[in-house]
Parts: sequence; C-alpha cells; structure tokens
Amino acid sequence: MSFLAPYFLLLGGAAAVPLLLHLMRRNIATKVDFPAARYLQRAEQEHSRSLRLRNLLLMLLRVLLVLTLAIAAARPFLAGFGVGHGPTAVAVVLDNSLSTTAVSDGAPVFTTLRNAATSFVEATTSSDRVWLVTADGRVRGGSREALLAELSRLTPLDDAGDLPLAVRRAAAAAQGAGLPARVIAVATDGQRSAWTDVRHVDVTTSVLVPTGTPPRNRSVLSLDPDPALWTPRGAISANIDAPDSVGYRLVVGSRTLARGAVSRGEPIQLRVSPPERGWQALRVELEPDDFAADDARYAAVWIGAPPSVAVDPSAGPFVTTAVSSLVGDGRAAVGHDVRLASADEVTALPALLTPPADPVRLGAANRALAKLGVPWRYGAMQSSPALARGARVDGIAISSRYRLLFEGAGRSDTLASAAGEPWVVSGPGYVLVGSRLDPAATALPIRAAFVPWLADMIGLRLGSQGGEVAAPINARPGASVQLPAGADALESPSGSRRSISSDHATAPAERGVWFVLKGARRIGALVVNSPAVESRLARETAEQLAPRIAGTRAHGTTSVAQWIRDGLAAGSRRPALVPLLLFAMLLLAAEALVVRTTRTAAA
Amino acid sequence: METGHRADLIDPAILASLGHIEVVSRWIVDGFLSGLHRSPRKGFSVEFADYRPYQPGDDLRFVDWKIAARADRWVVKQYEEETNLRATMILDVSRSMEWRSDTNILTKRAYAEQLVGALALLLLRQRDAVGLIRFDDAVRTSVPPRARTTQWRRIVGALMESGGGRASNLAIAIQQAARLVTRRGLVLLVSDLLVEPEPVLSALRGLRAAGHDVVVFHIMDPAERDFTMTGEAQFTDPESSLAVPAAASDVRAAYRETVTEVVAEWREALAGIGAGYELVPTNAPYSLPLRHAFAARQAKP
Repeated sequence: MSFLAPYFLLLGGAAAVPLLLHLMRRNIATKVDFPAARYLQRAEQEHSRSLRLRNLLLMLLRVLLVLTLAIAAARPFLAGFGVGHGPTAVAVVLDNSLSTTAVSDGAPVFTTLRNAATSFVEATTSSDRVWLVTADGRVRGGSREALLAELSRLTPLDDAGDLPLAVRRAAAAAQGAGLPARVIAVATDGQRSAWTDVRHVDVTTSVLVPTGTPPRNRSVLSLDPDPALWTPRGAISANIDAPDSVGYRLVVGSRTLARGAVSRGEPIQLRVSPPERGWQALRVELEPDDFAADDARYAAVWIGAPPSVAVDPSAGPFVTTAVSSLVGDGRAAVGHDVRLASADEVTALPALLTPPADPVRLGAANRALAKLGVPWRYGAMQSSPALARGARVDGIAISSRYRLLFEGAGRSDTLASAAGEPWVVSGPGYVLVGSRLDPAATALPIRAAFVPWLADMIGLRLGSQGGEVAAPINARPGASVQLPAGADALESPSGSRRSISSDHATAPAERGVWFVLKGARRIGALVVNSPAVESRLARETAEQLAPRIAGTRAHGTTSVAQWIRDGLAAGSRRPALVPLLLFAMLLLAAEALVVRTTRTAAA
Repeated sequence: METGHRADLIDPAILASLGHIEVVSRWIVDGFLSGLHRSPRKGFSVEFADYRPYQPGDDLRFVDWKIAARADRWVVKQYEEETNLRATMILDVSRSMEWRSDTNILTKRAYAEQLVGALALLLLRQRDAVGLIRFDDAVRTSVPPRARTTQWRRIVGALMESGGGRASNLAIAIQQAARLVTRRGLVLLVSDLLVEPEPVLSALRGLRAAGHDVVVFHIMDPAERDFTMTGEAQFTDPESSLAVPAAASDVRAAYRETVTEVVAEWREALAGIGAGYELVPTNAPYSLPLRHAFAARQAKP
C-alpha cells in the first residue's frame, strides 16, 4: 500500500477521541438533576452486559470509522484493487534521433516509434502525469491532449541526440511528480551506438524496440579538405562505409566537380583545383539508400589565387628551391605579395622571417622586427639539440636555434616548439622561425614535409587574406559554436540569410554548409554534419537493452500493446479511496443501526 | 370556567395557570361530578331525598305518618346516603417532588397538591371526613379528618405550607396516618415513590391490617417514565445525591424497561396487600386519578 497524501494519516490520531470519550465517560462534568436516578442506576446494573457490549461495539465502529476516513484522506493505493491503473507519472522517451529516419519494412522507424508513443499517451488517464522526452533531452509536459498534439508535430532530429541523458531526465521528471507509481516508457530503434553510456535509473522502465532489421546502409563517414584553404589547389579525402562498391559525386558549390566509384573500405582521395574562389561548400554524395541522412557529408573550403612570393637570397637556398617547386606546381606564383627572407632584410609584411646567417646581424634583425611591429625578438643562440613539436614538423631535429622572446603585445600563435620553447611563431602577416632553414641548423629543409610546410605557411598564414581567413567551423546540429568576430548573419545551404545576435551561436539543425556573413561578405563557414556514429545502425534487442537501462525493473518488448501494459503495470496499485469511502459508509450505517436499534427498543 | 369544558379533562399545567388551587379544585370536582350519574343508592341518612311506597319489612320509623294520615297511604321517607367515611390523604412533599422535566408541565408536587385538593373537595362533598398528612423526611402537616365545611379551607391552607425536606420518609407518614385514623377508612397516598419499597409496604400492610382501604397514587414526571433526557451527564438524585453518569440515548431503552418493571413491582406488591395502585403522569388530566379514587370511595359502604 502506498499513499498519495501520507500526512493525512495523522488524522488517524482522531481515533483516540471516541476511545477517550468511551474511557472517560465516567468523568462527565455535566450534572443534571434527576430524581429517578435510582431507576437509572438499576437499569445500568441490570443491563450492564448489553450496555457494555453496545458501547464497545459503538466505540469500535466509531474508531474504525475515524481510522478509515484518515486512511481514505491519505489517498491510498493498493495492489490488485479495482480496475484500470492508479495515478502514474509516465515519462515517454521517444527516440527521434537521426537514425530513426532509416526506413525499415517500408516505413521510417520514427513513424513506428511515434505511433507507439501516441498509443501510450492515449492509454494514460487524466489522473496520470505525462511527459514526453525526446532524444535531445528536451522534456515536454502538459495535458494529455497537448502532448498528443506535440507528438503529431514532432520530427526527427538531425543529430544523434543523447538518449541516456533523455532517460535520466525522464527519470527525474517521473520521480519528482510525487505520484506513487512512476515509469519510463522508452521507444527506440535500439541503435547500439546510441546506448553506449547508459546509467541505471531507479524507475520502472518499459522498453520498446520494434521488430525489423536495419537497412543495408552506405554512408560518408568523413570528408576532409586538405589543406583547409586552397590556393587554389587542394585535396579532399573521404571515408565511405558501404557493404559493397558505391558511386559517389563531389560537389563544389552547386557544381559537380568529380564522380566516381569506390569499393568497400576504399577511401576517396581527390586532388582538385576548382575555378571557384572564396568560401565554397563541398559535398560528397553517395547513391541514395534507405537511410538517406548519411548519404552526403559536407565540408567548406576557402579557395583563393596562389600567393605571389618573393624569395630573398638571405632566406637560403633550400627555401628558394622549395618555392620554385611550389611555383612550378601552381601553388604559388612569383611576385611580391609574400616575402621570404632573413629578418634583417625585410622591410614589409607579410613575410616569412628567418634569423640572419651572420649572428652579428641579429641586432639589426631585432630592430627590423620592432620596426615591422612583430612582437617577437631573437634571443640567445641555443646549440643544444632538440626535437621540434608541431604540425608537419613533429620530431624534426634542431641543432641550433635562437630563442624567441615575446616582447610587447599582440596576437600570436606558436606553430612549433623546441625544448618547450617557441620555435616557429606566427602573427598577423608574419611567420617567424627560430632557426635558419638550413640543414646546419635544422633537418626540416631536407625532409619531405618541408615543401608542404612551406606551402601551408605561405598559403594559410601569409597568402591571400594575409592569414585572416578563419578555418571552417565543424559542428553537430544544435551544438554551441563560436563564430568569427564581427559575424552578423548565417547564410543557409539554400542561400537564405539568418541574422545572429552574437558570436556565440547554436549550430542549425539543418545539415550542410552555413556561411558566416559580415555584411554581404563571407568571412567563414559553419559546417554542420551529423555524427558519423549515427551511420552505424546495428541494433540491440529490447531484451538486451532494457536491463542496461533499469536492471530488473525494466521490461523489454517488441509489441506496442505489451509495452503499454508493462509501462502502466507500474500503476497497478489502484486507488482505494472509493472502496474505503464505501466501507466508511457501511460503518456509518452499522453505527446508525446500532443506535437506531437501541432507540427503537426504547420507543 | 365554561360549563362546556370539563376541568378534570384539561391539561393540568394549563389548568393550574388559570387560578388558585381552591378555585381550580372546585372546577375539577365540578367537572368530574358533572360527568357522573348521581348515585342511585339512597339510604336513611339525615337529608331527605324522596318518598317511596311502604313495603313490608321497612322500618316503621321512616314511615311518614303525616302523609299516611292525610292521604291514607303509607310512604317511606328516603334520605341521601351519608356515611361517616374517614379519608386520610398522605402527600409526599419531599425534594424529589419539586422536580419537573419541562417548564411546560407541573412539578410533581404542584400536580399532587392539585390532585389532593380536588380529592379532598370531592370527598367532602360526599360528606366524608377528610384529613391530610404532608411529609418529607418528617411529617410536616397533619390535618385530622373532619367532615365539616371548614375542613376544605383547612386542607387548602395546609397545602400552601412549605415542604421540600431532603428525603422522603413515607413509612413514618403512614404510621402517623394510622394514628390519626382510628376508625376504618380510606387512605390515599400521593407520592413519587422514590423510596425503598419494603418499609413502605410494611407500613401499608399495617394500615390494611387495621382495616383501611389504601390507594396509592404514583406521581411520575413523563421524563421519569420515558427518560426523554438527551446528551451525556451525571444524573443526580437531589435527595440522595446519587449520581449516575450516562449517555441518555445509550440507556434509554434499558431505563424504560426498568421503570416498567418498577411500576409492575409496585402494582404487584400493593395488590398483594390489597392496596390500589394508580400510576399518574404529571401531564395527565385529573379525571383519571379522580375516577380511581371515586371508585375506591364507592366501594366503601
């Protein structure tokens, strides 16, 4: 037995009143003159047995009546009493994650799950409290009708959501309702990857995983442009998960750039040099299947003209050779946009700056740096060997270097370090290297990574916008993102404009490339892709999943009817209010009967 | 008082509100007697009533010789019967008699006094000698039986006296009555009988042994009969201070049963010694006890 308002049980103390009245009857304070008291005394003596029995019976009936009313006021619930189900706090967790858009047995799994959830909500009564919790963890409360309307409007997420979080929130909602019966009803496709981080909840749980097998899925797991900014050449690599070979299409903007087919497990790797300039959307599409959500994946790339480079002989022969190679490859041009030289020889930015060959020129180099507004200075020579740490240069030996000392203020990035100290630093319009790009100082010039590294420095840090082009932002739908400074709108994949109020924004639900606008100019890109993990449609059965959610308090089924029965069975402790009130009325009737019988006899 | 209404049938409380005991008693008796046929029994007493033809065996002393001389026929004078019955009324004026359950009815004592007044007048009109003893825990008033016309006023005056002692000592009053009434006569006892029966019965047995006829009027308030009280209380006897705590509704049935038993016991015990018994509720018209007393009187020679 449980109680909805247990404090009312305190009213049971009132049962002491008839008891005390019965026991204290001999201490009645009221005195009434009655000359025939001797008859009264004789009557009590002669009828003491029947009077005592009657009084005892009346006392018991009255005590029982008070206790019954107190228990009834506490709104008790008893198992196996009455019909229907008692007031139950029901939190229906509807899995509307992206994976539920997969078509199984001719219908999207989401439709099946939503219909089941609708049936469950319809099976509740006005005395229940019902919540609808979706895969994104959003909890919706309200009347049964409101939730049914909400269900009819609900659409699948463009994201995996967080089903374990949804379950925890559902449990919290149900437990906080204050009703004696609490239950979570989970309707899910059972996607194994969505239920990895499940924590037990202490609430009776009914789990529905519909029958049916997940479709044979082909998905684009990743799409990575390389480098992030193309000048104008670049490469893309994409990983495809498919049970067999599949055709693909690479789209830049709205133009198909490449088509092809890959076999199972084979990545897509393409080197391209598109004519488009500025921020462009990339998309790799596969042939459609029954799970369309992962048939395409998006990326963004900034495409610009190759930077024009002027190499000063002071930069050294290896730099000159590498730049020649880049020019020959079309990734750089001969010109004067970017200078590569010893710091003491540079008079303008942007420039890649190396230490002077002659240590005597170090002072001149530092003065030039100060004059250029570079906040770094060359310090003492370090001749102890060290290994470089940084992108493309990791593990490269450094035999001599100048310490780089930060002076003044300004934005600066450390691109590589040696012995825990900055080795390659970057800022607006400059890249400053702590060693001569010469095998005598570092092994970098004679390593294969040197030319790509130099291309990155020229293309990404110094070329085009002078390093002001921000890398694209990759996010899941609904994720919180930091946009480039000054952004005031987002341009949707369909071209519409959506204003934003601050740099902090929430990634849109629609997957694709959203360009970040500042006025009419694109200053960045927000790439929204669903997590690749959603492409793994392997399922767990209801019987496997249920114990993981709520241990022995969980029931798993593939039948909607059984799911509802299991869920509402938690409320099988039915209200005993009406039976108790009936019992109280019976007691009243019995009490009245005893009194009336006495009075009738008296009459 | 309208002649069309018999006072003996009117509610005692209403009647009492209409006049003094003396007046009311007259109304009661007048009303009562108007409802009776005149006694056909005529005897040879002092008051002439009628003539009848002489019949052999008649006492020659009652032959009217003047008529015999004038009309030559023998007639015998008839007189209304007149006995010298001595009736003594014993009235209980103890504290318990002061009680009433409702202000709309008379106290037992007021009712009893009215009844005694009416009885006295009735008997005096029958030319009986009537005496009165009032008692509580002792004899308060003792009016020896007389048949004089002034006796009525003496009795009424005695009824006006105070009483209301703590307890009833009925046996002493009966013994006092036995002393007052030396000749065989009628003893009318008016009391609520809230006493121990045995001493009373013993005393009455003595009266009966002396040849007296005894009629007991058991005055009872309706609430004493039906226990119409409500609620829970300590029900206290003002005389004995006996207090009985009870819930009225709980014990009402048992109480009524007990009262029925008590009445039956009194009736049976009094019948056993040859005494009459009449239960008289204080809300009952006076005709009932009067009729009973009259019947008792008529049974006497």
